[in-house]
Amino acid sequence: MMDYVLSLILFIPLIGAALTLLFAKSRESARIVALTASAISFVLTIMIYLQFKSGLAFLEFQFIDKIPWMSSMGISYYLGVDGVSMPLILLNAILCPLTIIYVWGENKQPNQFFALILVLQAGVFGVFMALDFFLFYIFWELTLIPLYFLISIWGGPNKDYAAIKFFIYTHVASLVMVLGIFALYFSTGVNTFEIPVLLQAFSDIASPEMRVSIFLALFFGFLVKMPTVPFHTWLPDAHVEAPTAGSVLLAGVLLKMGGYGLFRVLLPMMEGLGPYRENIVTLMATLAVVSILYATFAALAQKDLKKMVAYSSVAHMGYVMLGAAAFNYMSVSGAMFQQFSHGLITAVLFMSVGVIQHSVHTRIIGDLGGLADRMPKLAFLMMCGFMASLGLPAMSGFVAEFMVLTGSYLTLPTYALVAMLGIVATAGYHLWAMQRAMFGGYNEKLGEPHDLATFEMVPMAILVLLIILFGVYPGSVMEMFEHASTIIPGVMI
Amino acid sequence: MNYIELASQFAPELILTIGALAIMMIGLFLATSQKKVLGYLATIFLAVASLVIVSRGIYDLQMDGILADSLTIDPMSQFFKLTFLLVSLIVVIASIREYDGHSNQDEYYTLILLGTIGMMVVASAIDIVTMFIGFELASLSTYALAGFNKKDPNSMEAAVKYFIIGALSSTLLLFGLSYIYGMSGGLTNISELAVFFNANPAVLQSPMGIVALMLIVAGFGFKMALVPFHMWAPDTYQGAPTVISALLAAGSKKMAFVAAFRILLIAMIAIKIDIAMVFMILAIITMTLGNVVALSQRSLKRMLAYSSVAQAGYISMVFVVMSPEALTGGILYVMSHAFMKTGAFIAVAALGYMLLKENSNAKDVDHLDNFAGLGKRSPFLAFSIMIFLFALAGIPPTAGFVSKFILFYSVLKGGFLLLVIFAILNSALSLYYYARVVKYMYVLPPSSDEKLKVPGAYALAILLAIIGVLAIGIVPEPFVNWAASAANVLGL
Repeated sequence: MMDYVLSLILFIPLIGAALTLLFAKSRESARIVALTASAISFVLTIMIYLQFKSGLAFLEFQFIDKIPWMSSMGISYYLGVDGVSMPLILLNAILCPLTIIYVWGENKQPNQFFALILVLQAGVFGVFMALDFFLFYIFWELTLIPLYFLISIWGGPNKDYAAIKFFIYTHVASLVMVLGIFALYFSTGVNTFEIPVLLQAFSDIASPEMRVSIFLALFFGFLVKMPTVPFHTWLPDAHVEAPTAGSVLLAGVLLKMGGYGLFRVLLPMMEGLGPYRENIVTLMATLAVVSILYATFAALAQKDLKKMVAYSSVAHMGYVMLGAAAFNYMSVSGAMFQQFSHGLITAVLFMSVGVIQHSVHTRIIGDLGGLADRMPKLAFLMMCGFMASLGLPAMSGFVAEFMVLTGSYLTLPTYALVAMLGIVATAGYHLWAMQRAMFGGYNEKLGEPHDLATFEMVPMAILVLLIILFGVYPGSVMEMFEHASTIIPGVMI
Repeated sequence: MNYIELASQFAPELILTIGALAIMMIGLFLATSQKKVLGYLATIFLAVASLVIVSRGIYDLQMDGILADSLTIDPMSQFFKLTFLLVSLIVVIASIREYDGHSNQDEYYTLILLGTIGMMVVASAIDIVTMFIGFELASLSTYALAGFNKKDPNSMEAAVKYFIIGALSSTLLLFGLSYIYGMSGGLTNISELAVFFNANPAVLQSPMGIVALMLIVAGFGFKMALVPFHMWAPDTYQGAPTVISALLAAGSKKMAFVAAFRILLIAMIAIKIDIAMVFMILAIITMTLGNVVALSQRSLKRMLAYSSVAQAGYISMVFVVMSPEALTGGILYVMSHAFMKTGAFIAVAALGYMLLKENSNAKDVDHLDNFAGLGKRSPFLAFSIMIFLFALAGIPPTAGFVSKFILFYSVLKGGFLLLVIFAILNSALSLYYYARVVKYMYVLPPSSDEKLKVPGAYALAILLAIIGVLAIGIVPEPFVNWAASAANVLGL
């Protein structure tokens, strides 16, 4: 079974989606089928996680599943995991069932809603598992469609604009990425789309200009997905209009695909960049620092709580880029861990905002006030999420950002110092928002809100526990990342 | 080669000829109410002919010099013949319900079969005169079909426009070919022409040669609806009966591509650079104009027509690159586009049929507003339209994605970075209008809550097209190999 366990993890959500869509007509049956499918994937993921062997060499993969597909062009159905992807697969496997529980009460076309969440989950699994660029691209694009529908059917008032902007913006970026993939394929001349082979052949490309163009085309594809300022403008719109489940998955796992691209594809190419390496590092670090500062200050200025959380996502993904740019083993493993940790934290934040929107029908920070009075459970879990997000020690966000900043200070001291300026403002907007929205006197105009329902509380509580667990004991997830980052060729140890 | 052997080689064409004559004869003795059976007959003939093509084997079939060197049987001819047969098959199946109870069904099915034969002759022709005759057989049949709803002024307008432009383009083509014939001293066989022009490139570079080529490019340009020769296509596709629009966009337009692949690629090698330049400009203008104009269309048929113009722009990149890979991509694109476009038009036809059945005075049944809430009224139809549109936009895992992938890849391999960037930007742009239809179907509320039941014949036709779109998208290997062996025929 271990030979095709990855395919099972990947296809069970898809089968679940088809069953939900076609046969589960009532809300009750739809959500049970959906939860079952993603729970089976979760159990299988835990199984491979426990059997995962750390310590393999660079570009050695486990649980490989490989079938020739279009052999004339060297395309195959090729799945496998290593230390870069395993924890992210775990993240996806954790987050999707929790999201399904969180939206347990969805009333509007529930069977379509749950089916789309499952398709999204499968697409993200596929991106993290695919070791063939063709397959990688298929899953990369597959994730767009469910999110497009989640936004445009279940979204807010301006959903049309947000959905189409998200779809086209990220589609253009993927197309540029395809150009890069083609160029890589032709200039290496290996006649295969297998990612490991192409990565190894990258440094054999004769012209350094070609190498850097390939790098930049792929970089652009990942940059927009992460997203990095100035290519982030689709994200706040998408978040504001998306339903809570869409936002949770968008920020929690979809953005991680961009970061994953950096670690999987771009960092192994760094050594092959030759004379342009310095410029690329400067570019990445500048984008990272600009992202962190711009998005942090933009978050400070937001009136809408959800938009604030969206900008905080952009800022936190900036740390991922900074860690990757610094390119030493501490910063890179910190950046990888930041992806994992931010996935958990941002889910709590978006779920909290979702609950507020649901019970008092507004997210404008100025209109809220004193919600802690009437919603103590929410206030507690939300506080935990906000504290984690601003980087409180003993929570996973602290570990990640500490490693990124310490690591970056070794190789890019100026950038790291400038990025640290952002930390103050980060604490500022989190606390200020909490203070205005949750504490102080209760704003009576908000009516009588009800506190968290059980199905909302359980996933949020689980996530908070995980955040604390990984903050205190990063454990095997961190070990995988650390090992994965030490074996990247050329990384500073 | 004796006649028995000849008949066995051209069994698909013969089957259709017998079918066309039989349907015409049988139709004379049937009451209108019984004429539905003719649709079943046409379906059977087309299905049998397709099976014969497939059973022949497809990869390494090669048979030259048939009927005084005028026809050939090779992977390329078989590939296109199967494409045409499947398009006609899907169209005929959908027509069974569309024209149930129509008094002229015998002419209708006869014309479709004759038109298909014409397209198949073009696919096989390696002689410019034979090719032209095939062209005319297919064109004359489809002129009549475009005006088949003779009480509908739009259908009449479509037919007249199509006929006038079609006649003009045939004249241009014939005139250009006659120059070629004269300059070469009386050669009509394409491979002999290729040998002649390779030996005497100066002939084609003379003023007369340039004029001849311009006429031929313009003639094909009209038939392929490349900008600026495209003006007839939107009006014709919009006004013609919707099922016939499917046949025009997916069948008869693609016939021009197979002819152009053979003539332009072989005979024009002598002046490759100039031809490449001309087609580069044509391709870029065509895809850009098609997509930009499609953005503002509210009639779905018209939008599909402009999208068809844009897709022709993508395919004509083949003439720029002229490499075996590009040809493979182009040939595969033709088949993919046949399934996607036929499916999309048939689905629009099915909706139109159901709306007219609800309210026989309904106007503009293909207007975008009628698609609002279709996801609730008819989940099957909405879902299949979504698949066809996403396939046209090139979203995986569909035929549109695989063929775009291979085509763009080959253009880049040929070193035409600018062209690929245009194609990619266009591809992204097109997503906007395809996604808008999807939004109408799934996001906007329906105008009435009444469920629409897709008639069985339409459902079957749509299902066949979906199978085609997904088969090429998910198991592309055999199709790519076949397209590659078809491309090898030309020996680039």
